[in-house]
Parts: sequence; structure tokens; C-alpha cells
Amino acid sequence: MQLSDPNVNLLIIMPEIIIALTGVIVMLYDCFFPKNRGITGTMSLIGIAAAAISIALIWPGGSVPASAWGGMIVHDSLRLSFSVVFLLVAALTILVSSVWIEREDVPGGEYHALLLFATFGMLLMSSGNDLVIIFLGLETLSIATYVMAGLRKSDLKSNESAMKYFILGSLASAFLLYGMALIYGATGTMNITEIAAKVADPNFPALLLVGAAMLIVGFGFKVAAAPFHVWAPDVYEGAPSPVTGFMAAGPKAAAFASFLRIFVIGFPVVGGLEAAGYLNYSWTTALAVMAIATMTVGNVAAIMQNNVKRMLAYSSISHAGYALVGFVGAGVALTQSNRDAAIAAVAFYMLSYAVANIGSFAIITLLGQKNDRRTEFEDFNGIGFKSPVLAFTLSLFMLSLLGLPLTAGFIGKVLVFRPALEANNPLLTIMVVAAVINTAISAYYYLRMIVVMFFKERATDWVEPRIPSALAAAILVTVIGTFYFGIFGNRVIERFSTQPIAEAVSQR
Amino acid sequence: MDFVSENLLTLLILLPVFGAVGLLAHQMFWKQEEHLKWVTLAITVVIFLLSLLLLGDGGTKAGGFAFVKNVPWIEAINTNYHVGIDGLSLWLVILTTFIMPIAILSTWHAVEKRPLAFYAFLLLLQSAMIGVFVSLDLLVFYLFFEASLVPMFFLIGIWGGANRIYAAVKFFIFTAVGSLLMLVAIIALYFMHQQATGVGTFDFVTLLGSIESGTLAFSASTGLLLFIAFALAFSIKVPLFPFHTWLPDAHTEAPTAGSVILAAVLLKMGTYGLMRFNFPLFPEAARELAPIFIILAIIGIIYGALVAMVQPDVKRLVAYSSVAHMGFVILGMFSFTEWGMQGALYQMLNHGISTGALFLLVGFIYERRHTREISEFGGLANVMPIYATFFVITAMSSIGLPFLNGFVGEFLIMVGMWKSSILAVTATANWNYIATMAAGTGVIFAAVYLLWMIQRVFFGKVTNEKNRILTDLTPREIGIMIPLLFLMVFMGVYPRPFLDRSRDAVVAIQERVVKQAGGTVEVVETFEKE
Repeated sequence: MQLSDPNVNLLIIMPEIIIALTGVIVMLYDCFFPKNRGITGTMSLIGIAAAAISIALIWPGGSVPASAWGGMIVHDSLRLSFSVVFLLVAALTILVSSVWIEREDVPGGEYHALLLFATFGMLLMSSGNDLVIIFLGLETLSIATYVMAGLRKSDLKSNESAMKYFILGSLASAFLLYGMALIYGATGTMNITEIAAKVADPNFPALLLVGAAMLIVGFGFKVAAAPFHVWAPDVYEGAPSPVTGFMAAGPKAAAFASFLRIFVIGFPVVGGLEAAGYLNYSWTTALAVMAIATMTVGNVAAIMQNNVKRMLAYSSISHAGYALVGFVGAGVALTQSNRDAAIAAVAFYMLSYAVANIGSFAIITLLGQKNDRRTEFEDFNGIGFKSPVLAFTLSLFMLSLLGLPLTAGFIGKVLVFRPALEANNPLLTIMVVAAVINTAISAYYYLRMIVVMFFKERATDWVEPRIPSALAAAILVTVIGTFYFGIFGNRVIERFSTQPIAEAVSQR
Repeated sequence: MDFVSENLLTLLILLPVFGAVGLLAHQMFWKQEEHLKWVTLAITVVIFLLSLLLLGDGGTKAGGFAFVKNVPWIEAINTNYHVGIDGLSLWLVILTTFIMPIAILSTWHAVEKRPLAFYAFLLLLQSAMIGVFVSLDLLVFYLFFEASLVPMFFLIGIWGGANRIYAAVKFFIFTAVGSLLMLVAIIALYFMHQQATGVGTFDFVTLLGSIESGTLAFSASTGLLLFIAFALAFSIKVPLFPFHTWLPDAHTEAPTAGSVILAAVLLKMGTYGLMRFNFPLFPEAARELAPIFIILAIIGIIYGALVAMVQPDVKRLVAYSSVAHMGFVILGMFSFTEWGMQGALYQMLNHGISTGALFLLVGFIYERRHTREISEFGGLANVMPIYATFFVITAMSSIGLPFLNGFVGEFLIMVGMWKSSILAVTATANWNYIATMAAGTGVIFAAVYLLWMIQRVFFGKVTNEKNRILTDLTPREIGIMIPLLFLMVFMGVYPRPFLDRSRDAVVAIQERVVKQAGGTVEVVETFEKE
């Protein structure tokens, strides 16, 4: 066996290193000085900020190679743009959870360490260019999230949620692993760049198709796409509100990152080659159908919910469907720049969704009180003018989720619809029309939130909750984000869709 | 002054937003709710006066767009903040700025609940409405079109009547469904332009140029689909029969200011959109589908009138009369004659003024009696002579009595339809004549339902004791009505300044539709041309 130069480069994985180290430090600090929630939270935020700075430093490229560690880590726009989403989600979640940690006496240090490990897993999932790395990242993320979902130990719903998440998540992981093994069997490599090259060979084995199908099932679970979505509502409803917000935004985006990496980059459109063309055609068709099903199931079910968290869970399912629209668009893009633009569109979509979603959960956490008691729609009756700041902010997030112009959600929707329409393919056009009709359906339940808050009268007393400063910061960031991405989204998209300049390959 | 005239449209869009922010700040620091309406009134009056500057530009008359501002917005999808006005949008913008102070004065004492939010939403609504009429980038247009929904949704939902939640949600969803399909069509146009020229664009002027020069051509079926996607959004907004069901609910439940704005401006977005975007972009499809629209318009005219006749509620009656009037507008547009299209534009303004005034008048009596049931009233002319006079004049304008504005619009539309060649002419029948005659019955019905209502409400003896103590209009209410009544008479006697300014823009659109179909433009010597 020939040993090749592993091409060690610490700079390229600096964000991952910083987050992992911060996680370890936070955990150790909590061992020796327990119950210092404020300090562990601040430490985590500093770590996330440092990771963000390191990303900003390596972003333009030039200083780091396009890939390192034997091709296992890549440095491209997909990795960078999704990393931004993950770090933002993690930071916002820490701010949002502060009120909940205080209220329910959650072990803060543990929670923060888990969150950081989850973030580490997410970062690895977007930067990994190797099936093994992706799987490692996924498992790191999943195990941390299983625990987070069950952190409210005394609450039955939370336990149920963690249990369900664990069992179904493991099942999904098993599917993924099996699929990866089959792909390895078919191509003889775990490296996605090499898989893409192997796929171009017209005589690739049918095993690859089976492997790809397995991966679709596995990732379908992780992003909660229909028909693999049934776990999501129960888990999202039972988990503590800040964790739900995190799960719907972070791990979902991470799963999308690897999903995109493996399918769009690993199984690309190959002109003129029938076999590879067949592979690409199969998965884009399958995902287009899944996208339609996901959006429809999510939206129709969301209409019937009476619990706000459950409504948002179904809404999260439908948003996975919208993101899949852009995903399929990326899968059929014919040129490199179109593909990058489509991937950037999905990343931007997840960013806009994350901002609105975590913002909503911030407010729901605050209003939900201990053990998320007040999360039915009736609990929000008539609070509109009693707590105008919270109510108008929540309305803004609802409108962004709906995709109304001037909010981030609108630009996100336009961006993901665009590549799918560009393909000029009947199925994809139908998919976009389905997405649009679904958006109209979703108006009903997003507006319902506004209706209950502003148009209904409140029967019971309302004590306006005090807004802690950390939560206020989170709300402020999400509000600014919603408007900034909605009005000046241009700069973000441009950043997201430009590949970093690769360093001239320096073989030592 | 240069800065103002260069950025006039942007100022008109932004001033209401700044006004709303100013209101918030005012309330935060002074906490004096009674000042809010004065501040809002001052803002809207300033905006109205500013908008009059639009009249001062010669460019509007010469055709093409004036007050153009074109700056990149989202470069990744090549969308620009591109605004400008021509003869088509000029009067609609001024109608919007004109009706706002009136709407605010109309609810001077009626808004007790949350005045801050009420006035802030009104101002945001104004901003969105102006944006709709001036944007020349399809995506920006869509943005304002959707953005106008939210403030109205809140206005109906919070300050509306008993059934307000149902009405607000229905209003929002109906309009959103239509406009979302338009969004798909807009994005599709972008890609067709990209495939044809290499550069995708949302810019209306660029798209129109490419279509006119033949660089961007699409098959007949594609053109039809795109036309339908756009037209659906606009037809719901107009509303054209069978999409009208949201209108009576929304009107009845909305507060007076909301109804006035809804009738005067929001409905015009639909007809404006058809004329601005549908006709020039898809002329073949427009001609092909014209018979369907004409039939629906005539059904709307007659159906709206018949349903209005049996309404027990005055406001609902006026709402259904809107359906009929907007049917006339659609009819005139789809005649594709200069008479008809000019008449349609004129009728949009008339409807804004007359129906707006009717809603105001209904609001006045509702504030006094808290009911709008016709059966509750009777003999009001004895108790409130000024009110009765105003109501009768307004109703006459709505019916289309000569020397009042409604007559000019309806007359032009009917002449236009009569002279049109859009419908089949067979040996036995000229369907254009038949369509005109069918629409003409609508005028008679209008006289029936309005006069019958007036008779029941105003004439005879005072039957209900509660009505004896009613006070006549206050100076404020008279002051609101005077400008409207003046316009009704002025526009009825001397329509030329209005028609002259819109002529070039309208004729350009008409020529496009007719020429594109291989027809020849008949030169019509209209009376406004001399």
C-alpha cells in the first residue's frame, strides 16, 4: 500500500478546532466550577465568535488550499456559507436558552458543552469531503442533540421526545451507513471528489443506485422530508423550546449541507454519459417528488394544529420541502456557476429560515413559561397590544416564514425557485408551482398566529413577561437579520456563491 | 429642488414610512394620543402637495416614463429599484395621495382603539400603494403588491366589524394566491429573457423592449399561460366576477378609512396591473382572451347590480356596486379602442372618488346610528338635509348622470366597446354591439338600486324615532366631502386635462395590442384631441 502525503493543514479546520476546544473547556470548567451559567454561556459565545472570525479570515481563500487532510476536508463556498448558518444558529440558541436555563434550573455548563459539540459536528458535516468524515460529524451532532432534547429530565414529553429522536435517528444513521458502505462497494472510494469522477464512468455498478437510495432515506430522515418526517412533530413538540428552535434550524441545515455535498457534487450531471445521467436523473426525480410531498404534507398538517410548537414543527417540514426545491435545482444545474448559485440559494434559504425560526422560538420560550405550558394558540389570544414588541416581532417572523416581500423569507424563496425554473424541465416547473400553491396554503396558519394575537380578545389576565437582556439581544439580531437579508440580501448571496480562491497547491 | 424632483417618487414612497416611524417616536416620547391624527394628517397633506409636483413635468405628456430612478437592488438576480410614472400611473398616484388625508379625516373620532397602530398602518399602506403604481421592475412591483396586503389585513382585522377575522383572512388569502402565481410567471419571464439574450432581467422596460423587437418571443401557449398567471392576480384584486367574493366581506367589515382606501385605490391595482403589464407584455394573449374577460365583465356588471339591489345593508350595497363598476373598467380596457381604454382609466378615477365618497357617507351615518340597515332608516332628508344632498349628488355621480364624472367614464367605455372590433361580427349580429347593450343595462340597474335605496333611506316620513335626533353633518364632515363633490362636478364637466395627460400612455398600449395582432390602428378623432 502506498502512503500518500496527508496534506496536514490546521488553518483549514481552524473553526472546527476552536469550537471543539471551547466545548472541552466549557465542559471542564463546569466540572470544577459548576452552576456558573453566565460564564459558560459567555465562554461559548466567545468561542463561536472566534470561530466566526477564523472563517472570515480564511474565507477569501489564497491562504488555504482547496482541500487538505488527504482530500477529506474541503474549502469551498458550500462549506463556508453553511458554516455561517451553523455558527449563527449556535450563538442565537445560547442567547435564547439563557432564559430557559434559568427558569428550569438546567445544568448550564453541560448544555453549553453539548451545544458546542453539536456545532462541531455540524461544521464537520459541511466541510467533510469524505463519507466517513460526514458520518462522524453527523453522529457527533446527533448524539449531542439526543441529549439536549431530553434535558428536561422530569418532564415526560421531553423524555418521549428524546427517546423517539434517538431511536429514529439511529435508524436513519443505520440507513446512511449502509448506503455509504454500498457506495464504497460500488466505487471503491469514500472521497466525494473521486466518487464524482468514478460516476462519470459509463459502467458504474447498479450497487451505486441502491446506495444512493439508502442515502436518500437516511438524509430524508435527518431533514424530515416526507415520507420520512413522522418523527419530527412529536420530537419538536416535546423538546424544550430553545432546543426545538435549534433542531429545526441547525441540524437540518447541516444535514442539507452533507446531502448537497454528496448528491450535487458527488452525483453530478454528466453530459453524454448515459449511466451517470441515469443516476442524476433518478435522484433529482426522486427528490422532486419528495419535495412536493414534503411541502404539501407539512403545510396541510400545519393548518390543523392547535399547538404553536407543533405548528412550527410542521412548518419546519414544509420548509425542508422548499429547500429541496433549490436542492433539485442545484442537482440539474448545467454549469459550475449555476450550481454554485443554487447551492448558495439553499444555504441562504436555511439562513433566512434559521433567523425567523429561532426568533419565533425565542418569543415562544419566553411566553411559554415553565415546562412550555403555554404553547397553545389560545394562550396567545389578544396579547398583541399588551406586549406589542413581542407580538409585532413574532408577526414579523411569521411573515418572513410565509415569504412576504422585504423579509428574508421572500428572497430565500425567490432564490430557491429560480434554479428549479431555470432547468426548463416540466417536473421541476410543476414542483415550483406546487411550492407556490403551498406558500398560499401556509398563509393560513402563519396568519392565524397574527389573528390570535391581534384580533382576538383575551379572556384571562396577562402579565407582561420581563424580557431578559440575552433574549432581547437574540430577538434584536433576528429582527435585524430578517430585514437585512430581505432588503440587502444581495451582499450575502454574492458572498455565498463565490468560490474562495484556492491556494496554489503546495506539495511538501 | 433638483434633489426633490429627481427623487420625487422615492420620496413619495418613503415619506409615509418615515411618517409611521415618526408616529412611533412621538408616542414614545410624548405619549399624547390625540396628537397622532394631526401628525398623520399633516404628513399625508404634505405628501399630497408633493405629489402635485408630478403634474409639473412635461415628460409625462410626451410619453415614456418621467421621474425615473433606476438603481441596482439585488445584483445576484439582476433586479433594480426602477420607478417612474407615465400618463397611466400619474393620476392613480395622485388619487392615492389625495384620498389619504380624506380617509384620515373620515375616522377622526371613530378610532378609539390603538390609534397609533391605526395611523401607522394607514401610512405604511400608502407607501405600498404608491410603490405599486410607480415600480417598473416586476419584482419590485410584486414586492409592493404583496406589501400592501399586510397593513390592510391588520386594518380590517383589528378595527373591523363583528365578522372581521373571517373577512381579513379571506382578503389576505384570496389576494396572496393570485399574486404568488404571478411571481412564478415573473421568474419565468426572467429566464426566458435569459435564454433569449443571455441576461435575465425583471426590468419591465427592458422586457418590453425585447418583446417588441422580437428578441424575446414565446409560443402562443406560453404567452397564454403567462398572461393568465398575471391576469389571475389582477382579476382577484379588481375583483372580476367570479373572484369577487372577498370584496363584500372585506368592505363590510373594514373600518370606514379602510373601505375608502380599498375602494378608491386597492381595487385599482388590479386594473392598473392589467393595463400596465398584461397588455403590452402579452398582446396576442390579451386579444385572444378578450372575449372571456368581456363576458365576465358583463356578468359582473349585471350580477353586481342585481345583488346590490337586494342588500339590506347600505355598505354591502355599495360594495356590490363596486363589482359592477369595476366590470365597466374591465370592459373598456378589453375593447382595445382609445375611447374604451381612456374611459377605463377615467372610470378608475371616478370609481375611486364616487365610491370612496359613498363609503364615507355610509361611515358618517354609521357613526351616528351604529347600524347600516336600510330598514332602520327612512325620511333622513328631513333630519339631515345637507347629508341627504351630498348623498344624492354622490349617488348620481355613481349612476352616471351627465355633467357628473361617472357619465364621462361610462360613456367613453360604451362608445369604445361599440366601436371595438374585438368580438366577432357575423352576418346576423355584431357582438360588440350586443356586449355594449348588455353592459348598458348595468347603468339602468345602477339607477334602480341606488335610487331605490335613497328613496327608502332619505325620503318619506321619519319612521324610526331614533332618527329624529340625528345631527346633520359637522363642518369637518362637510369639509371632507367638498373636495370630492367638486371633483365629481369638475371631472364631469371638464375631463380634458385628465384625459390629455393619460392619452399618450394609453394609446401606446392600445397600439401595441392592436399592432401585434396584425391589425391596423384606427385613428380615432376623440373630442379631447380637437
